[in-house]
Amino acid sequence: MASIIDIKEECALHVRNFEFTYKGAAAASLKKVTMPIAKHSITALIGPSGCGKTTLLRSFNRMHDLYPGNSYAGEIEFEGRNILGAKEDLIHLRTKIGMIFQKPTAFPMSIFDNVAYGMRLQGIKNKTELNDRVEKALKDAAIWKEVSDRLKHDANGLSGGQQQRLCIARAIAVEPEVLLFDEPTSALDPISTQGIEKLVIELKERVSIIIVTHNMQQAARVSDYTGFMYLGELIELGQTEELFVTPKEKLTQEYITGKFG
Amino acid sequence: MTAVQKRVLVNKIALTLSTLSALIALGFLFWILGVLVMKGVGALNWNIFLFEGAPPGNPESGLKHALVGQAILISMATAIGVPLGILAGTYLSEYGKNSKLAHTIRDISDIMMSAPSIVIGAFVYAIVVMPMGHFSAWAGAIALGIIMIPVILRTTDDMLQLVPGELREAAFALGAPKYKVIMDVVYRGAKAGILTGVLLGIARVGGETAPLLFTSFNDNFFTTDLNEAMPSLTVTIFNYATSPYEDWQQLGWAAAFILSMFILGLNILGRVILFAGKKRK
Ligand SMILES: Nc1ncnc2c1ncn2[C@@H]1O[C@H](COP(=O)(O)OP(=O)(O)O)[C@@H](O)[C@H]1O
Ligand SMILES: [Mg+2]
Repeated sequence: MASIIDIKEECALHVRNFEFTYKGAAAASLKKVTMPIAKHSITALIGPSGCGKTTLLRSFNRMHDLYPGNSYAGEIEFEGRNILGAKEDLIHLRTKIGMIFQKPTAFPMSIFDNVAYGMRLQGIKNKTELNDRVEKALKDAAIWKEVSDRLKHDANGLSGGQQQRLCIARAIAVEPEVLLFDEPTSALDPISTQGIEKLVIELKERVSIIIVTHNMQQAARVSDYTGFMYLGELIELGQTEELFVTPKEKLTQEYITGKFG
Repeated sequence: MTAVQKRVLVNKIALTLSTLSALIALGFLFWILGVLVMKGVGALNWNIFLFEGAPPGNPESGLKHALVGQAILISMATAIGVPLGILAGTYLSEYGKNSKLAHTIRDISDIMMSAPSIVIGAFVYAIVVMPMGHFSAWAGAIALGIIMIPVILRTTDDMLQLVPGELREAAFALGAPKYKVIMDVVYRGAKAGILTGVLLGIARVGGETAPLLFTSFNDNFFTTDLNEAMPSLTVTIFNYATSPYEDWQQLGWAAAFILSMFILGLNILGRVILFAGKKRK
């Protein structure tokens, strides 16, 4: 019954029959989700609160594994393998699939050290290389001008919008293939939101992006593909314009016209 | 009298009584501090820092032995109690979390925190002093270290739990292994709180006398031999204050004043650090 578009371009990720149940939960939070994610494009996930958007997003970098007792089945294909396997190297996976959270998560260290953190984890110690890549990441995240003269300052002194861009800089500094955004602007003011949206669009040249948003306008503004989720199922995945203008599913139609939310 | 008037009256009485109680408690505190400062400052002089203990009547007597002994005992206790307390607190917050084992450790630690310190002294007497056959700085430091552990364990546990989970997740999401997440992000986020816990832990044992009586015991002379009995400010205060000699009593006052200022200072510093850490966020 779900209507899933057949993506012709190359895919970054492919979810197949994915099911997810939280520890101790009576029912599955995700039911038989099948979803292709196009490479170098932005896929938005929309749907009412509690429908499973975050749960799906956090499956791509196996964030759920931090908390024991959850169970999942099915397949998520990335770079030719199923990343749900028990042998998957999660540390390596997470350097390939980065994540930006709802609330900015600047570490209690300097701006420079925040951005360099992921690179240092990978063993990069060379000062010139670190300096160059930190600068580049900050420029790519459109925050260089604001912080270039205070890289040694505590990152917590930045505003919310600046911190979120710092987090994006930190995530892209390790050159991931995929970036996951979980409602990255829900804690920000409209101007900062605009900045982040612009940035997300610029980033798709280099990374494939999945963005969870409770804001349909945001999905419409930034994404190429949109998936509508409801009660743990992916009801419809289509090109963003088509999904918002001529949805194929009645539920999608009702949701985007505000009949429920 | 209406119901409202009655409530207003009861309210006034309760307020007056509780304010009065607070004033009485504060009154005693300032009385003690006042006497201590007056007598203590009066007894201070350079000789205190230059000379060790001497028989009563000798003008060349001081507290050098007790000051150095106290510093050695506290440093050693810190070296024992701080790493163990922080590591145990880290286990509780980052690994054990809500497991049965973690809860059991928390309960035992809370009991230890309120256990009479003399019991811990007796315990160390049995396991260290008896086998060694004599008192030693080691035994005193171990007793103080054990008393310090639950204080530091508790604050570390509490402070680490205050670090937002999203911060840990963000570090994991960059591919950090767990020990890096703890060292780089969690400890950093809780730095001020842990430091405060350490200072309060040191302050907690700084004034202990009972556990030292049968571990490091006392000595009226300067020593740095860790295998022998070692003087401390607290036991020295006890000995000098209860002695019949006027000059020893003076030294007792000086020791009490120095020790109190040290502990008061640690407490204030601990609170200042915690407050500054909170304000920064
Ligand atoms: N840690 C958890 N443990 C148990 N159930 C959870 C947990 N997190 C989310 N859920 C449940 O899973 C479902 C999907 O939640 P979520 O993915 O957060 O939804 P969304 O992001 O779309 O608002 C909800 O029913 C929610 O109650
Ligand atoms: Mg969510």
